Amino acid sequence: MIRLLKIEWLKIKNYTAFIIVSVFFVIGVVAVNYIIFVVNNNMISQSQAVILTGKFSPFQFDKTWQTTSYAAGWLLLLPALMLIILITNEFTFRTHRQNIIDGWSRLQFIHVKIVMALLVAVFSAILVFFTALAFGFSSGTPFSTHGITHVGFFFLKALSYNMIALLIGVLIRRTGFAIGVFFIYMGVENFISQLLDVWSVRLRKHNNLDLGSMGDYLPMNSADGMLTFPSNPLKLMAKGVLPTDYPWLVLSLCIVYLLVFYWATVNRMLKTDL
Amino acid sequence: MSVLSIENIHKDYGPVQALKGVSFDVPKGSVFGILGPNGSGKTTMLAIIMDILKPTSGTYKLLGEVPSEMHRRQIGTFLETPNFYHYLSAERNLHIAAAIKGRGVDDIPKVLEMVNLTHRKKSRFSTFSLGMKQRLAIASSLLGNPSVLILDEPTNGLDPAGIAEIRTLIKKLNLEGTTIIMASHLLDEVEKVCTHVAILKKGELVATGGVHEILANEDVVEIGAADMAALHLLVQQFSGYNSMKLEGSLIQLFYPIGTIDLEGINRHFFNEGIVLNHLQLKRKSLESKFMELTN
Repeated sequence: MIRLLKIEWLKIKNYTAFIIVSVFFVIGVVAVNYIIFVVNNNMISQSQAVILTGKFSPFQFDKTWQTTSYAAGWLLLLPALMLIILITNEFTFRTHRQNIIDGWSRLQFIHVKIVMALLVAVFSAILVFFTALAFGFSSGTPFSTHGITHVGFFFLKALSYNMIALLIGVLIRRTGFAIGVFFIYMGVENFISQLLDVWSVRLRKHNNLDLGSMGDYLPMNSADGMLTFPSNPLKLMAKGVLPTDYPWLVLSLCIVYLLVFYWATVNRMLKTDL
Repeated sequence: MSVLSIENIHKDYGPVQALKGVSFDVPKGSVFGILGPNGSGKTTMLAIIMDILKPTSGTYKLLGEVPSEMHRRQIGTFLETPNFYHYLSAERNLHIAAAIKGRGVDDIPKVLEMVNLTHRKKSRFSTFSLGMKQRLAIASSLLGNPSVLILDEPTNGLDPAGIAEIRTLIKKLNLEGTTIIMASHLLDEVEKVCTHVAILKKGELVATGGVHEILANEDVVEIGAADMAALHLLVQQFSGYNSMKLEGSLIQLFYPIGTIDLEGINRHFFNEGIVLNHLQLKRKSLESKFMELTN
């Protein structure tokens, strides 16, 4: 696999779009947290409500892991889009055929892409870890690993986005169209998720049936559902402050969806004409 | 030993049958042409061999074994279009191909020189003309000095000088022992370069064998006489022609080009007591032979 990854690196190391998106992502993760840090320090913590309810610092240790993971989660579209571009480039340039003609198996071709998706998720999580650490120390609170599982949830979210991106890439094959489908899918899933959430509330209220936030049982939302902004006294973002009802169920679903994406992506590459 | 052995390959696209039970063997050391008009299934056949397309049914063997990616690494293939990363230079693209093959990195300067692209090795693939892209694809297929080359329409998009260079290169590589499998719709190309040929027509194998047997480029003499039985007997004792065929009420004699002596033929049969009532020279062009086979 190392040999395959080295070849994959040869393909992308001089690709301008890859370099630009990577730089934007790294800067974006730091910047979005810095904005929250500054806004919190200069506005929220000075507000009357917070003064009344008690000091809230999203970057104090034990909160910084959650805050940074949640905030950086919004930027995971960037690596996902980059992966769509990388896989659809292969189809556009027909290099997927050439790679196989030159001596890769179909499985090797798709496995190295899946490992790339995994590595991008790992690097994203490492970036979040260090960003959380840096802002945590900036808050002046003593170091704690409490809540570090959120970085793990972030990793799963990154991997889910990347795997959805790969699957759409191998199904659609054309860059612009695939990116369009990715966004449409996000929109449609979020819409269905909202409907399911409303239904969940009704079931709870009228039928005394608690099925949790059913919207979080969908593929992308199961990855999103585990990451929430730490409860803050202002409770500005309804969805953001409400953690999912059954985190372990949502976590399990997220892993099941990952396996399904893996199977569907590999199966597509193995069975279809290239 | 057969380098490639194809057995009863079928490929369907819904109701369309692109290949209908094609079987043939490619002998080691040959230049094997797969000849057929556009849409006859040549590229489909090669794509199946390269695991780009899945056959509906049928099997094939590469180098006498059940095919795998390890066999493909030993074969230099240029299939249909030059497929490279547009944003990378010629040299970097060849690095990727060599890395996948697991051999041939040291060959990069040599193969670029062979196809006259050394001066453009640092240029991005996207800046290349069609002919240059084609030549880069041929260079890539030569990496690692493969024992088998598969070339699909290798002279497409090349200028006359480029076409001549590639033909010379193919002949040279074949002399050095490389088996070459080449798909083409250009008769002239196949005739000039190939030792063996398989002719495909609408997904069916029409003929396969030595190129001089299948695409014999001959002159034909048609003869007839009142007593055809006697004429037939005499023809069998007659020499100088390659083959003979009964065509309706006439006999066709096939001669190597330019060797026919009509006067001599006439005199011979007259001296033997047969007066010919029909004596006609027909030139059988390669095109007419091809049309005969594929139409």
